[in-house]
Amino acid sequence: MSPVRVTWRRTVGRLKSLYSTALAACGSFSASAAIFAFALESAEGSRLPLAAIWASSVSPVLPVLASFLAMDTWSEERRAGRADMLLSAPVRERGLVFGKFLGVWTIIVALTAVFHLATMAFLAGFAPRLLSGVSYMGFVPGFMGLALQGAMWSAIAVALSAAIRNPAAAVTTSAFILVALPRSVWAALMAWAPQGRSAFGEMPLDAQASDLACGLVSSATVMTYVIVAATALFVASKLVASYRFAGRGAVGIRASTAFSVVLALAVAVSTAALAYRLDTTLDIPVESDEPGFSARTSGVLSEIRGELGVTAFVSRRDPSFRETAHFLRSLARSSEAQGGARITVSFVDPRWDLGLAERLVRSGVKEGSIVFRRGHRFESVSVAGGCDERACVSAIMRVAMPPQRRSVYWTTGHGETSFETYGAFGMSDIARDVARDGYRNERLDLASVQQVPPDCALVVVAGPKDDFSRVETGRLEAYLRQGGRMLVLVATDDSRGVLTLLSAWGLRTRSAAFPGARTLSGTDVVVSDFSSHAISEPLQGSQIVLEKPVAFTPSAAASQGGGADRIEFTELASACGSCVAAVAERGVGTGDDLQIRPTRIVAVGDSGFVMNGQLASRASANRDFFHNCIAYLAGTDAVTGAGDEPGRVVSGMDRSARARFLIYFAIAFPLGLFIVLAAFVAIGRRRG
Amino acid sequence: MLEVRNIAFTYRSRPVLRDVSFVVSPGETVSLVGDNGAGKTTLLKVLSTLMVPDSGQVLLDGQDAFAQPIRYRRQLGYMPDVPALYDDMTVKGYLTYRANLKGEIDKRIRRRVGEAMEMCQVADIATRGIRALSAGQRKRVALADATLLRPRVLLLDDFLAGLDRTMREAAGSIISTVAAFSSVIVTGHEIADMARWTTRFLVLRDGVISAALPAASVDADALVKRVDVALKGGAS
Repeated sequence: MSPVRVTWRRTVGRLKSLYSTALAACGSFSASAAIFAFALESAEGSRLPLAAIWASSVSPVLPVLASFLAMDTWSEERRAGRADMLLSAPVRERGLVFGKFLGVWTIIVALTAVFHLATMAFLAGFAPRLLSGVSYMGFVPGFMGLALQGAMWSAIAVALSAAIRNPAAAVTTSAFILVALPRSVWAALMAWAPQGRSAFGEMPLDAQASDLACGLVSSATVMTYVIVAATALFVASKLVASYRFAGRGAVGIRASTAFSVVLALAVAVSTAALAYRLDTTLDIPVESDEPGFSARTSGVLSEIRGELGVTAFVSRRDPSFRETAHFLRSLARSSEAQGGARITVSFVDPRWDLGLAERLVRSGVKEGSIVFRRGHRFESVSVAGGCDERACVSAIMRVAMPPQRRSVYWTTGHGETSFETYGAFGMSDIARDVARDGYRNERLDLASVQQVPPDCALVVVAGPKDDFSRVETGRLEAYLRQGGRMLVLVATDDSRGVLTLLSAWGLRTRSAAFPGARTLSGTDVVVSDFSSHAISEPLQGSQIVLEKPVAFTPSAAASQGGGADRIEFTELASACGSCVAAVAERGVGTGDDLQIRPTRIVAVGDSGFVMNGQLASRASANRDFFHNCIAYLAGTDAVTGAGDEPGRVVSGMDRSARARFLIYFAIAFPLGLFIVLAAFVAIGRRRG
Repeated sequence: MLEVRNIAFTYRSRPVLRDVSFVVSPGETVSLVGDNGAGKTTLLKVLSTLMVPDSGQVLLDGQDAFAQPIRYRRQLGYMPDVPALYDDMTVKGYLTYRANLKGEIDKRIRRRVGEAMEMCQVADIATRGIRALSAGQRKRVALADATLLRPRVLLLDDFLAGLDRTMREAAGSIISTVAAFSSVIVTGHEIADMARWTTRFLVLRDGVISAALPAASVDADALVKRVDVALKGGAS
């Protein structure tokens, strides 16, 4: 058996039999669990992979764990006098050092694996939604990254243990050098220059753990870990060898040893610098088979063909860089998986890629943006505050789909809610979303135009309070008969003018009471009963909130006639048995060969359900519902899913669940584990 | 044959060993005696390559120990004055570990461990944890460790200290057995016990070998008296 293997086995056996190991393991578990719980809370709603959150939670604790475990390798051996026994054996010092390093590393890797299993188990109990669609293989790169970091910390801690005779001093010094010093310097730097976070990014080691967990394997990072570990082991070997050089006669040997150590450090620094200069980043796909995007995004991606260039004009040190990079890589993979466009992702760092950055700036692109480009067409989307999937997909549509000069016309002149008003009672917010989707928002004064303009994608009648004149109604009627599309938001107080029109198209309004319906303010109704229509199906499991909604029933015109003239009435959403949103459609199923464009009218029993104030104050699926209506009416059947957006971190834990998660995971579990491990140690000692 | 030539060692500007030279033939048991601080332990550490001397050589069959330390240590058994063992192991487990570390091939380990335990009378406590052993038992385990691979050079530091009377008497037979294949150097202060089985006394005084007293020509009591005189600085 090789001396390395013998020493490795002994070190593992020794560490297993110590109370200090049990204490260090449980302390590390507790700290990692607490960091993970808080990281999970701050990552809520972001697109960070769970594996990255987990890895960056374990990463800060590894050096402390390594310090405690390595204490026993040389400091304790020297204090107890066992170092002489080891050094009198016919083994090279490097064999002993490497064996002890492997022993410490093995324990660290094993404890990391146990912590991973514990994390999965606790998440399954407290936040099962987080684990849905999560591939366990997705944790492998993160685990490997932590193992690499663990190797580096183990090697440094073994070297420090070889240098310091007193075990307690070795632990204190290791913890200070490996944890307290770099992190306090970093914290001081951030406090001294708060803007530094955008200039310097996250704490490098945590960021590297997160990158590795995302499958971004930087050759420089890996090389640096290996170089640091190898150098530390070399230094440790030299330190152990120097135990023999206590006498005055060994001054020359000590000097040459010191020189070789300094030389090794210089070579290590140079090699690491070279590695960073020649850095290459491998992108290992670690995603699960789940697309991780909304139905709308998936639909758009599957429709696009050819090449599409995406450039992230974001500093690599920008806090949003990792999320952006992860989002774009997922987008490219999802597109490829669905047979869509080949998306090429590139990154332009404003501080390093000066030429490319200058070109982008000259094109009007601001730093902190994603640029979608095809041919000469390009669109940029800001990533400030995170990646907005909807905005990005809208940009892709504008860049990649045939140019559409279509407009959404908002009727005016009857007291409608204005899409140009920015106050709480305006609809500027939702209109901006519509514009992002590539439509122009236009006012439509039916009294002053001969007909609805031909570039009209759909007409929005947003809560008219006054009557439509016969002329205006006739113009709308003419538009609808030609396969027009209309979205009617019925005002809750009165909606006279347009009612007659709706009735002719199969929709009749009636006032309704909603006894026992769920309500937030007392006057609104929470609607969660959705039909299987294309608009409402993706909203299953979520809810919309309508203020004093009006109900709809089929009018006499519905289900009359046959063929292309038949009007179908379909419920979209209902509360307490009353339909509060419906669609009337004429010409359904006539077939494409007849070249008849079906007429579609969607009616929602609340004129203000997407007003700015409503969207800002309540978390609901109102916005998604509106988008789905627009998409359906405009003919784009790719619709927005609601509720939990795939790919986003949604733990589903409320405040009390979070507190329980923290108490059980960060306190009770480590305590229980310590009792179990300590019992094993005690039993082992008693048997001995 | 172990040959020590002109060994000198200085620790923090205090000369501990000065020009120490002697030869130990195979089968010979040399007792190195001297007052506390005379440099006995330092000399044994130099001979076991745990300390590099300022000058001088340690030759085993003409090969310099410091030129080829691994090869030399393969033929070396060393027992320190305070045996430091792993408390979490059993006696047998510890000796097996040490045999492995010393590079013994796997199929011989069991036999080697068994022989060493028999010879050092620790077979009856083979499965006991080291934590539970007395100081004397620990010393025997350390001796078993030192003799594990039948070394050609056996260095025993303060060998008899802490051993009970029975074990001291048994030490002679153990040393005799070991001496069959080793050059043995033992340090200690138990001159009367050593005189029963040693072949030569070397008296270390002020860092030099001040006297060499062969045991063959005189009886044990006379030898002890001569050693005492030598230790006090008188002519031997």
